[in-house]
Order: sequence, then C-alpha cells, then structure tokens
Amino acid sequence: MNHNRQSNDGNHDDDSALSDFLASLMDYTPTIPDELVEHYLAKSGFQCPDVRLIRLVAVATQKFVAEVANDALQHCKARQAAVVKDKREKQQKDKRLILTMDDLSKSLREYGVNVKQQEYFADSPSTGIDPATRDE
Amino acid sequence: MNNGCLENRKKEHDNSQKRPKSYKFGSRSDDFALAIAKVAVAQLCESVGFQGFHLSALETLSDISVRYIYSIGKTANLSANLAGRVEGNVFDIIHGLEDLGSNLGFSGASDVDRCVVSSGVVKDITHFVGVSDFIPFAYDVPGFPVVKESTKTGSFWEKGEDPPGEHIPSWLPAFPDPETYATRLSVENETMGVSNGKKTESELERVERNMDRSLLNLQLRFAHNENKGGSSHGSGYVATESNPYLAAPLHVGEKEVSSVILPTKLSNEVALRNPVHVDVGNHVSVLETFAPAIEAMKSGLCDSDNVKKKLLYDQRPTVRFKIGIGKKSLGTMSDLNSQNEEDLLKIASWFGNDNEKDDKKR
Repeated sequence: MNHNRQSNDGNHDDDSALSDFLASLMDYTPTIPDELVEHYLAKSGFQCPDVRLIRLVAVATQKFVAEVANDALQHCKARQAAVVKDKREKQQKDKRLILTMDDLSKSLREYGVNVKQQEYFADSPSTGIDPATRDE
Repeated sequence: MNNGCLENRKKEHDNSQKRPKSYKFGSRSDDFALAIAKVAVAQLCESVGFQGFHLSALETLSDISVRYIYSIGKTANLSANLAGRVEGNVFDIIHGLEDLGSNLGFSGASDVDRCVVSSGVVKDITHFVGVSDFIPFAYDVPGFPVVKESTKTGSFWEKGEDPPGEHIPSWLPAFPDPETYATRLSVENETMGVSNGKKTESELERVERNMDRSLLNLQLRFAHNENKGGSSHGSGYVATESNPYLAAPLHVGEKEVSSVILPTKLSNEVALRNPVHVDVGNHVSVLETFAPAIEAMKSGLCDSDNVKKKLLYDQRPTVRFKIGIGKKSLGTMSDLNSQNEEDLLKIASWFGNDNEKDDKKR
C-alpha cells in the first residue's frame, strides 16, 4: 500500500514532469521545422493532432543529429591532433573542421548505422591519405 | 567538395538544388523535404562546431536524420495500432524513442518495472533542451505538401438538373450544354481544333468532319498541280515552299550550270573501252561516236554528266572499231570535215593531254 502510494506520487511527479516538459517545448522552437517532421510522420502513418508531440519528435531528432555530429567532431579533432604530431607545419593550416564521410561513418557505426563508401582506385599512391588535410 | 562557412552554404543552397549528375536514381519524391532537412542539419553541425562539410557527408547525415523521424513515426504508429487506437499519443512516441535508443542505451533501460512516463529517454531529452542553444531554422517553411483543391464534379444533382432518362443516376457528371456540340463547325476552324474542345460530337459529326477534311486536302492538291503544270508534288505542297531541301529535283536543262571540262581520266576510259584500232576505212564511225559530245558542245548545254553517260552508253560493245592514239589518226580525221574543225581540235586536245600524261609517266 505504501509502496503503491509512493509509486502513485512518483507517477504524479513524473506525469507532471512530462507535462511540464511538453509545455516547455512550445517555448523552445527546435531547429528542425515542424512542417518537415509533420511530413515524415504523416508519411510513416502516424497521425496526431497534438503539436507538442511533433515538437517532441523534432527535439529528439535534433538531439540525435547533434550527438552524431559531436562524435564526428571528436574524430576529426583526434585526426588533426595525430597529424599535428607528425607535421607541425600543418597546425596553422588546418584549423578548419570539416565534416567528412570518413568521420561520419565512424561515428554512425556506434549508432548502428553502417555507412560505407566503395573503395576507389586513385591515380597516385599519395591520393587519399589524409582527406581532412587536403584542400579540395 | 568543400563548402565554406554556413553563410556560403546558404547562398549556395539555392544553386545546389540541382541534383549532381552522378546521382543514379533521379529525383526523389521528397526532394523538397530533403532540402529542408539538409539546411537544418547544416545549422546543427555548425552549432556543434564544424566549419565546413563535404556535400556527400551532409547529404548522408540529412538522409539519416529524415529516416530517424520516419522510424519514430512508424514505431509510434505500430504501438498505437496495437493498443487499438488510430491516433498516437505521447506514450507511443516514447516507446518509439526507446526502441531507437536501445542501441546505445538510456538510463533505466534495464529496469523491469519502469514506467514510460519516467523513461530515461525523456530525461535525456529534457536535459538536452536545457543545455542546447536556441537555433531557429533559417528559412520560413510553408506547409507542404500543398493540398490541391478538388474540382467540383458538376453532377446532375449539384447542378439541379434532372438526368435525361431514368437509367442515368443523378450523381454522375452532367452532360454539357447542347449548344457546345450541336452546331456544325466551319472548315476554317477545323485546323484550329474544335473550338469548344469537347469530345461531345456524335459519330456522324465526326465522320462528316473527316470527309470535309479529306475533300479539302484533295482540292488543295489539285490546285497545286494546276499551278505546277502537271508535276506531282501534292503531298509536299507546304513543305516545298518553305524547305529548299525538300524541293523536287531539277530536270536536265532546267537550270544553267557552269560547264565542266571532261577530265582526262574519263577520256582514258573511253579509249580503253574500245582498245581496238581504227581502220582507216572506218574513220567515219569515230565521228559518229563522238557526235553526241560535239552536239552538246555546239548547243551550249553543259550537262556533261549526261553527255558523258551517253557517250559511254553509246559506245557499248556492238560497234567495234579501232581508235588510234596519236596524231596520225587525227590527221586522217581532220581531212574529213572542215566544219567540225573546232570540235576536232577539242577532241584532239583530249588525246593530246593524254599523250602528255603518258610522256610524264614514262
């Protein structure tokens, strides 16, 4: 009984937390626009008249993309640090952080998404060694 | 391909709308939505700290984010349908998020008696919203896809008309007004198409129209033939006036062209065809064979092709004679007829050139 009461109170707290959170979502406009999320939710068959749920999905997607981008950024920085150890000249050149397929595939692998590019044959042995340090 | 900072990205956004040529599958049905997703993802990446993107990486990430939305929706719809509902609610969405987040895990995932409301996923998201900056989307997005207004069918019932005949139900589209199809169209309007553009003619009308059209064509053809004086250019009437390449070929003698000097090679052929030597007694026949050439030169018509052909054809084998190459035979010829002196000289020039050539070869 006591446990139930506590769980009930807990549920109430959680409910209120959830409803508060959903209410706060209306103030925070996510970067991913509502129309886009609505379009793809409609495509998948999910019907909902509530705008807050759409915001919830938008925020969840934003979080996902931000996490993936963050991991890719870590990979990019790690690669630049490794390069700087070898050649100090490039330290000033390559302060630019660029999102490449290589870093992206590495970070997406942890999320269960397998993005692999086909190997290609290059003209010279030096091609494609350090795509991040090469200006295209 | 490196894109610079986001400002450049936005400027190039419109330019880069055209799909790269290497894209195998052509345009997808959700190109517009994908473009919006690309911009949003680019903004997010910039907020994380990236200063540039490879276009392929950006496209891949935006495609994945779109699929993420799609899979959330699908899972939420599935759980709603399982619960016997058509519309989803927040619990369905949280279920979907938990499914997708089960890879990496979230706090409280292993709890047996966890409640959806207090799910770790929601807590993560709440934390994220609290921490992250507010980045509004760069563009104003209109509601899409645009719903097309359905055109009114104009049924009998809507128009308030009684359908003619009991067999026609009132919800079918009404017949058009009789004035639109009952009048006979004039011939001039035929080429402009049926003026009302409706397919309401009866079979009889259509047959009559075809007959009129064919009659008209025939009349045009006859008129043109009279103008041309019997030459049959009926079908290409309009075309021949405008396009010179489709004009009828000219007959020999219609048009003056410049004269063509018979090349020595051809005169060689003429000589070779008749390799036997001319007997002195038969020198008359030589002239006869060259008579067409002489006549052609006399009259001034210089369609030498025909003359050449006639020359060759006339010298086909029934007449055999010997032609001597050299000035001796010409000497005998010149005795014959002083009238044809010029022509003989010309003929001599052919052989003369011939001799010179032989000398050069030797």
